[in-house]
Amino acid sequence: MRSILSGWFKVREDLPPGRRTLLTVLSFLIPIGLWCFVSYTPWIWHPEIKLQISAEREGVTTVYVAGDRLSREFFPEFVAAVRAENDTIRAARDSGSVADTSARSARRRNLKILRQLAPVGLAHGWMTRDSSTDDAAIYRLWRDLATGARVATRPALTAENLEIVRDNWAILERHSPTFAYGQLPTEPLLKLVPQGVPANPVYLPAPHEVLAAGWHDFTHQPEDGSPSMGDRVATSIRIIFLGFVISCAVGVPLGILCGTFDTFSRLFEPFIDFFRYLPAPTFSTLLVAIFLAHDAPKIALVFVGTFFQMVLVVAKTTRLLDRSLLEAAQTLGARPRQLISRVVVPGILPDLYNDLRILLGWAWTWLVIAELIGVKTGLTEFIETQGRFRNFDRVFPVIILIGIIGFTTDQILAWLRGVFFPWTGHGGPASRAVARGLVWLPSTIIESARDRAEAMHNRASSP
Amino acid sequence: MTPDLLKLPHYREQSPEVAARFERLRKRPIVMEVRALTKRFSTPRGEVTALDAVSFSVHRREFMCVIGASGCGKSTLARLLAGLETPTSGEALLDGRPVRGPGPDRGMVFQGYTLFPWLTVKGNVMFGPRMSGRSGPAAEQDARQWIDLVGLSRFENAYPHQLSGGMKQRVAIARALANRPRVLLMDEPFGALDAQTRSQMQHYLLQIWKNVDVTIVFITHDLDEAVYLADRILVLDPHPGRVREVVEVPVPRPRSPDQFLTPPFLSVRRHLDTLIHPPSEKQAQRDLPIVRLTEVGDDVE
Repeated sequence: MRSILSGWFKVREDLPPGRRTLLTVLSFLIPIGLWCFVSYTPWIWHPEIKLQISAEREGVTTVYVAGDRLSREFFPEFVAAVRAENDTIRAARDSGSVADTSARSARRRNLKILRQLAPVGLAHGWMTRDSSTDDAAIYRLWRDLATGARVATRPALTAENLEIVRDNWAILERHSPTFAYGQLPTEPLLKLVPQGVPANPVYLPAPHEVLAAGWHDFTHQPEDGSPSMGDRVATSIRIIFLGFVISCAVGVPLGILCGTFDTFSRLFEPFIDFFRYLPAPTFSTLLVAIFLAHDAPKIALVFVGTFFQMVLVVAKTTRLLDRSLLEAAQTLGARPRQLISRVVVPGILPDLYNDLRILLGWAWTWLVIAELIGVKTGLTEFIETQGRFRNFDRVFPVIILIGIIGFTTDQILAWLRGVFFPWTGHGGPASRAVARGLVWLPSTIIESARDRAEAMHNRASSP
Repeated sequence: MTPDLLKLPHYREQSPEVAARFERLRKRPIVMEVRALTKRFSTPRGEVTALDAVSFSVHRREFMCVIGASGCGKSTLARLLAGLETPTSGEALLDGRPVRGPGPDRGMVFQGYTLFPWLTVKGNVMFGPRMSGRSGPAAEQDARQWIDLVGLSRFENAYPHQLSGGMKQRVAIARALANRPRVLLMDEPFGALDAQTRSQMQHYLLQIWKNVDVTIVFITHDLDEAVYLADRILVLDPHPGRVREVVEVPVPRPRSPDQFLTPPFLSVRRHLDTLIHPPSEKQAQRDLPIVRLTEVGDDVE
């Protein structure tokens, strides 16, 4: 025991690389494994019964159809009620009494009983969703199941239900070998007893259902003319990108000014500090009123959500820059303008980059709210719509997709940090090599331009 | 009860060569003149006088060290001379012109290196010239020369985080010198280095000073360092910082570590010791009131 645990729990010490990788993989595998465990182990949780065969009860207005979920406690009650109705019918047959209903209502009632088998036909692929109300096909299904020409496997009919199928078919066959509404018997048929499997609540679909639904949604162009998943991703990324870029374009310079000059700090920061406590979503209706429909109010919401935080965070980062660097630059002859462009900006750049990475994560949060205001669009609209229909197997893939986009973006940006800022000492040899190639040309151009500008400035200012 | 001390000459006794050298030094023009420089800070506990009417002058190509007990305002003095602080009263003159704010004519080397981490060694050295609009191949050639001077040509494209403490401080010196300053102000530049690197750096600095037309004002709390490097030593009294004495170092040049045990060195060293740690303070180093916790007979002394 001691030898297995040794080395895993050292206070404030790094693990060897192999163990680190293992744990990284496990950190993803454990939640997925838990999800599979809960989904595929029938005796774990599964508080509900998902109906495979349902039945309508006499005098009860609540109708359950196949696919509905009942609580485990209620299901036996439901089954017992249907059985009781069947017992009544059997008793009536035995006693030879005739039900005092009209032929029309008796036939309608029996047709409903016939259609109880439609979900079974659907599940086996014997019928398509379009032909699931094709009563002639359902009629043939009754025949085949009764005669044993077809055997239901998913779900397999219980012995009780198979008995009922045979019993009913005997009556049906006597009236007509093929479907004809007028030929339906008027004597009451037995109802199929509800069948179901233990299921988790609708909000936790099993992994394979999520995968299948996700695969379908991501690879198929929707028939109803709504945008494809690719288009939705593009729309969402466009909004987040525009909102964030505008936020950076204003927020970063303002933050640097606030962090550098106390005047700007005192002038802007108190109000911004107040404003950031106003929740961005509360502005949604206002933004729609100002920017009207389409993307503008959504972009504005991402902006409002990130801008105020950005100014404060950037100002703080700027203030954290080592003062002695500024003093050293001053003793080397740097003027105030040069202090900003040559010391403050390059000095805070690596930390600024990290700040923006964190804020970009926040921007995704605001995106979800932004996409719900005005005309719903993008990935969120899909989540909203499918969620309302309780198609959570289609909702999860999109949620996971957002996570993957955010996570990979951040991982790439984290790696690029070593490329952009080789002096921080992060990043391996690969990123340093890329850095040299990527940074050399633009930085040379910028450097020489700045040098030229400074030389001109000096010539102009010298008498 | 003090042990027998070595019979040493008086620290004012100078050999004819040393005396002649000081004669020549005094004839050189004054580069930096400090007149009644006073600096007071207001703190939550009231006003604190860091420097009180400090006056002295530094001649061209002189090496002056400033020593004093901690809290005597050594660093404040360096910052005032650099222009990073404004004096409460009095003034510092560089070549007769009063110091107003920091400028490239007074280079500064800080204890904390303060290299720009985003620039390579060469970029750091070229920073000053760039600020005054000098760039291009000539400036780059110039920068290489300074990097050569501090012996770091192999590292001109390295970033500061890749260098050791001593190397960083050499880059900082090259960076300050690349601006061709009149005065190089050094605020405990070797304080953070280990003893071996420090003595090496002192050696480097003397060589650089010999080969470059620059006047050095060097702040330190290390008395040996001060005697080893300086022509004259400005001794400051603490609380408030006042000039106690300007000591002429009787150790002949060129200096070498062998001189640490020569009579002139030891004489001035002992004198500084009495100035910085006055006898009254020495008596305060009394025995600690500790109960004996070892067995009788188990003695170490």
